[in-house]
Amino acid sequence: MKTTPLLLDDIGNVRERKNLYLKELFEAEAAGAQEEVRRIKAARSDHPYIVSLKEAQARETQFLLELKKKTDEFERTLASDDPLKKLKVDTFEAREKAAFYQPLRELSYDFELEDRINHFRLHQLPRIVADQESLRERIAVVEAELSRERSQDHGAYEQETVRFRTERKMRLSEEIDELKEKRKERLISDKAYTNEKKMAQLKTRDDILARENSHPVKLLEEELRNLRHRLKADKRLALKVLESDISDVRRKTPVETEQRFPWRSIVSIPFPGIGQFLNKQWQKGILFLLASLLIYLVAIPYALGYGNYQGSGISGLISLAEGGARLDRSIIFMVEGIIAIFLLVFAAALLLISFKDVYTTEKRKTQGIRPFTWFESRQTIEEKGFPYLVSLPALIVIVFIVLVPIMTTILISFTNMDPQHQSKFQWIGLANYKLIALGQGIAGSAFWLILGWTLIWTIGATTVAIAIGFFLSLLVNQERLKGKKFFRTVFLLPWAVPAFITIMFFSIMVSSTGPITQILKTLTGQIINIKNSSLLTRIFLIFLQGWLGSAYIFLLSTGVLQGIPSDLYEAAEIDGATSWQKTMRITVPLILFQTAPLLVGQYTFNFNNFSIIFLFNQGRRFNPTHYGNLAESTDIPISYIYKVTIQNQYQGIGAAITIVISIVLMFVAWLGYRNTKAFKEEKL
Amino acid sequence: MKKKKEGLYLSDRPPLSPLGKVLLALSYVVLAVWSIVILWPLSQMVISSFNGTQTKNITMGRRFEFSFKHFEFLFKETNFLLWVKNTLFIAVATALLTLIIVSFTGYAYSRYRFAGRRASLLSIMLIQTIPTFAGITAFYTMLSIISGFAPFFSRQLFLILIYAGGGIASNTFILKGYIDSVSTELDDAARIDGCSNMQVYRLIIMPIARPMLSIIALWSFIGPFMDYMLAAILLTNNESLTLAPGLFTLINDTRTMNQPAFAAGGLLTAIPIIILFIALQNQLVSGLAQGSVKG
Repeated sequence: MKTTPLLLDDIGNVRERKNLYLKELFEAEAAGAQEEVRRIKAARSDHPYIVSLKEAQARETQFLLELKKKTDEFERTLASDDPLKKLKVDTFEAREKAAFYQPLRELSYDFELEDRINHFRLHQLPRIVADQESLRERIAVVEAELSRERSQDHGAYEQETVRFRTERKMRLSEEIDELKEKRKERLISDKAYTNEKKMAQLKTRDDILARENSHPVKLLEEELRNLRHRLKADKRLALKVLESDISDVRRKTPVETEQRFPWRSIVSIPFPGIGQFLNKQWQKGILFLLASLLIYLVAIPYALGYGNYQGSGISGLISLAEGGARLDRSIIFMVEGIIAIFLLVFAAALLLISFKDVYTTEKRKTQGIRPFTWFESRQTIEEKGFPYLVSLPALIVIVFIVLVPIMTTILISFTNMDPQHQSKFQWIGLANYKLIALGQGIAGSAFWLILGWTLIWTIGATTVAIAIGFFLSLLVNQERLKGKKFFRTVFLLPWAVPAFITIMFFSIMVSSTGPITQILKTLTGQIINIKNSSLLTRIFLIFLQGWLGSAYIFLLSTGVLQGIPSDLYEAAEIDGATSWQKTMRITVPLILFQTAPLLVGQYTFNFNNFSIIFLFNQGRRFNPTHYGNLAESTDIPISYIYKVTIQNQYQGIGAAITIVISIVLMFVAWLGYRNTKAFKEEKL
Repeated sequence: MKKKKEGLYLSDRPPLSPLGKVLLALSYVVLAVWSIVILWPLSQMVISSFNGTQTKNITMGRRFEFSFKHFEFLFKETNFLLWVKNTLFIAVATALLTLIIVSFTGYAYSRYRFAGRRASLLSIMLIQTIPTFAGITAFYTMLSIISGFAPFFSRQLFLILIYAGGGIASNTFILKGYIDSVSTELDDAARIDGCSNMQVYRLIIMPIARPMLSIIALWSFIGPFMDYMLAAILLTNNESLTLAPGLFTLINDTRTMNQPAFAAGGLLTAIPIIILFIALQNQLVSGLAQGSVKG
């Protein structure tokens, strides 16, 4: 690490070195005088500065020993139950230390720091003690007064209170009578009467309460509680102020060290906590030691296979329970392997944080900046670490609920997990993806057919819904139309009724005996069973989604419509625009522009709209010649994945389909985000 | 509006042209037709749930006879009340968990600039476009692993975690956007008065963000009522089902099929939600709009 003849403290002031030996040495180094450097280094122990420093340090050791004895003696002179004992002892110590370090100030920054700190303490501790003592005295006085008051007879006062209460209540009823009179004479309204009455009642209650609370005993009790609170709070605050003053001094007083090689950080790389201990940061060291325990007792053993539910840590990812016991399941080995990887990543992050912490402290020390005390570290953690600390629960949930499952799906897509290989499966590379790309095999053959229908479905259903909702909102919001409220409430219903209920009920209604089928029968004279025809089911699904989705679009565009300022239309009218022109040139562009991201969201929603496809007709109708045995003619990818993975247990190929679809979705989403304002302005 | 008094035209709008009148009449017709299209299926549901002559399959044209038979069936022969209880439990827990997690992250992402902020938010947003359901095989496996370690951890608790976890990114975005719009002057003032980070959140941000927090809670609460798929896959026991898969057993499984009872159950489920939606429609829509505009 770089060393300089001058020192820097934490607020950037350049300070002269006090350690003359180091000053000479670094000056020689800076000048590049190798010979000189070697000479100075060889004569280190004879250097006059080092000699006097050693002598002073010996004296310091001696002094500290004596001080210990003296403080013990002083402590004995105090009453053993003195609540301010610690503060008093501290004051005594500070006084002695200040006297000792004062003459040594110029010798070294360490002594200067001690001197300054102890002067601070000497300045503030006695004040705290005095404050506390005066508070205690006051408490004693109040307590005495209280016990005296308690023993006295307050019968007169209490009687007076009772009298006051009845009197006040009588006055209240008089006031109310008066108000009633006024109301009768129509001087005040009913509303004013109730308000006035309420106010009079409140006032009476307040008066009575005030009277009751000014009972001498109650007053004293209140004061006592107040004083006791102050006794604690004042002390805490004063000590905190003292701590921050001391920390200020530490930031302004540099430190000198002969150490140049960051051996502490290097030694402690494998064991977080050790380096902090070597830097004499005890509390922080304990925290990092916990991290060490986490790494060596949880993460690494788990990755090696100890403490697993069934798997064998990381190695389980490679073997996938190959050759394991009969009950061992590959999938468990895989998931536990993935969890092990996440634990290791977490462990590596902890190691890195610890190394960086120790290294920064060491590096700053060679520049002249003192290591943080626990008080200071805690402040940094509270300020800088706050966003990380509060995001931790979210991170944990996301790792286990989102990341681990997605990793698992990615890995499964490279295996042959299918009905024949449920408990044990093997890695098969890209074979599943090949099947999809070529449209072959048990599940791949239907993939492209499904994708084709899905495109029609997504675009058709969403566009129909948008068109209906949009058109309705234009109609309902005509100026001259009456019954707006009724229409708005009715058109909201398809959105408000849970979709699964409507979908299931529509499914009932188009069954062979259902109402819709019956109506169609009377209309056309023949039985049309919608669910038995692919084409009819598809058409019906698109219109059903139009029915369901239009409500939301209606709501959205109504909101936008109501927000369009009317002067736009007035200006257009003055220019001679017809209402058709006004609609097409003002209303439509404004609505489209403002709801565009939501409309795009509707398309992705329908792409993934499992409920309607599955609950209406389970993706049917069955059409094995084109779709094979797994898929059916109205399946969209997500219901198809459901059938392949859950119902038929072809998890391998199902996972591959999921990944392909997800990549497409992510790409589309990325295109969408890229164009949002938030992203462009880097404000995120 | 248009008022004719002694032949005087008193409206501040120009009189309607004949074409205008026709168009207005046409608008009424269209709106009325669409109202029927919406109301007819819903009314069918209400009618058949109260029609005592309906048997297991709902059939059109049966004689109407008012009866609570199907409701009785629903309460006595099915686990409807249990399903309601389960759904409420899952919904409340999801809303609470989401609130706790998201209120912290939304605050942190809005008010602090820290390393990895942008990257983490973006990558989570992208990852979450993958349907939650993609990880279903892993969910199964994790369930069996967890039940090995901690048997008390039920499938319902796991479902709650999935619902809450799935909404973290988008809800964080929504809340962050909302808190962004609150001036930092209040925080600064509080900090000068010695408030810690948590106190600033608790005393300043949370009260201001309460409208958005309640919208987030409301959507997280409604989610489990609406979701069929995850609940159907993860909850296997009829007694632990939520409403959506529970009611589905009444129309899909021939052994337990009873369509009028489904209509009754659907009606009971829908009514509170309809009231909620109609009462809070503006807030709900603004919540959705916020999320997508910011997203």
